[in-house]
Amino acid sequence: MDENVIKVENLVKYFDGRCVLDGINLNVPRGCIYGLLGRNGSGKTTIIRILLGLEPPTRGRTFLLDAESTELSAKLHGRIGYVAEGHNLIQNYRVGRLIKLCKDLSLQWNDEFFDHLIETFRLPADRRVKELSIGMRAQLNLALAMAIDPELLIFDDPTLGLDTVARRRFLELAIELIQQQGRTILFCSHILGDVERIADKIGILAAGKLVVDCPLEELKERVKKLRVIFPESAPANLHLTEIINQQNQGREMVITAANWNKQKQTALEIFKPSSCTEIPMSLEDIFIECTKPNPEYIES
Amino acid sequence: MYALIKREIQDHIVYFIGAAVFSAVFIVMSISLIHQYDPKMPPVFSIGLGVPAITIVIFGICAMGATQMYLDRTRKISALLSTLAVSRNQILLTRIIAGILAILILLLPQTIAAGILMRIFTPPIPMFGGMVFEISVVVFLMAFACYCIGLQAGWNSNPLTPSLGALFLTCIFVPLILIKGFGMYIVVILVLFIVASLIRTWHTFMKTSL
Repeated sequence: MDENVIKVENLVKYFDGRCVLDGINLNVPRGCIYGLLGRNGSGKTTIIRILLGLEPPTRGRTFLLDAESTELSAKLHGRIGYVAEGHNLIQNYRVGRLIKLCKDLSLQWNDEFFDHLIETFRLPADRRVKELSIGMRAQLNLALAMAIDPELLIFDDPTLGLDTVARRRFLELAIELIQQQGRTILFCSHILGDVERIADKIGILAAGKLVVDCPLEELKERVKKLRVIFPESAPANLHLTEIINQQNQGREMVITAANWNKQKQTALEIFKPSSCTEIPMSLEDIFIECTKPNPEYIES
Repeated sequence: MYALIKREIQDHIVYFIGAAVFSAVFIVMSISLIHQYDPKMPPVFSIGLGVPAITIVIFGICAMGATQMYLDRTRKISALLSTLAVSRNQILLTRIIAGILAILILLLPQTIAAGILMRIFTPPIPMFGGMVFEISVVVFLMAFACYCIGLQAGWNSNPLTPSLGALFLTCIFVPLILIKGFGMYIVVILVLFIVASLIRTWHTFMKTSL
């Protein structure tokens, strides 16, 4: 059995002649929490939909739990929990009926855990799904995805529409799940603080390409932001490679660089800077730098 | 599978109730017509009953297929179901089973009633029994063919092609039945049409985005 629960091989997707995904390669090992990031329209949801077999790829192949996405059997689907962006639930059903349908169609159903979630979220069984608030719909979708005790969980912006308390509760649940052995989670979110809190591997999509694919700690190690002060005005060009961003203002230069090492430090010192200090970067800072045009050098 | 069939029936219960009611009304009208039968009565009277009945059956069954697929497309029902322990094949198969059930609810009581009425009111000639069976099979296949057209029309964002197909089918079958009556050749044509239509529906349903 393959150790990678999710495999994406050279995935290309065009929508009406527009390239959305351009040769994506991605592996998510068993037990990993993979945070897939990208700006709106960068192709995160498309990757997930192709993985789940909801969307056909233009080229390339994707695999979930050792089976090709286009040929996922019902049994395999039963081992995957999915919380969709916008929460794809049957809107005209009453909550109770939708729960019963999902329960009847599941391979296994954790009644105790599900009832606990429903009680925590205070979801009314007699109301129609369309009458629920966005937050409640998100909670219902989450509870339905978690009740089947999935081996693989795919969250496409699951906390969208949740208030701070519900979001915190969701993250706690996710962490609880992570602690159960063998669970793999693919997590897409715009709230980078959430991803930073739970993900152990990060992928960043920009302009249809996966520009970052490495563990979170490694990413933080590899991307550095430096404030360099020169005795006179800052040079226009340091002639260094893998510079993600550079801003000059008088004697001060702020550079963001990928794969910063001793050689680059030595090259910088040729310009005899008065001082060079590192500015700490959060995942959000790294994300903003990486989604600017031309960040093609962080992929591992 | 059972849960999926149950869902299809519950979601389209109006068609099942409609089929049962229509069937009951048709049987009652047929009985009263036979009771008041007068050999001098012009055939226009029975045609007057038959033509609207067939029209309602064709449009009703076609509408059921179209509604099943249209609601699925607009409410993204398959998009949710196919993320559960269900395959697209199962979704389509259970949908078709529900359609067949609705047609049977519509036609089976009428066939049984026709058989009984034939036994009571016509001489005991085996030809009549065979005739009832033959007509029932053709009507069932025609209803199922209409249902298949509905399935295609409901799934396509442009339902013009399937609608033209329905018109074409009607143009062929009505003169055929009027000229040559019910027979094996009609069964063969209908079966071929149904198979082609189902393959087309299955192909589109399996390949399109949900």
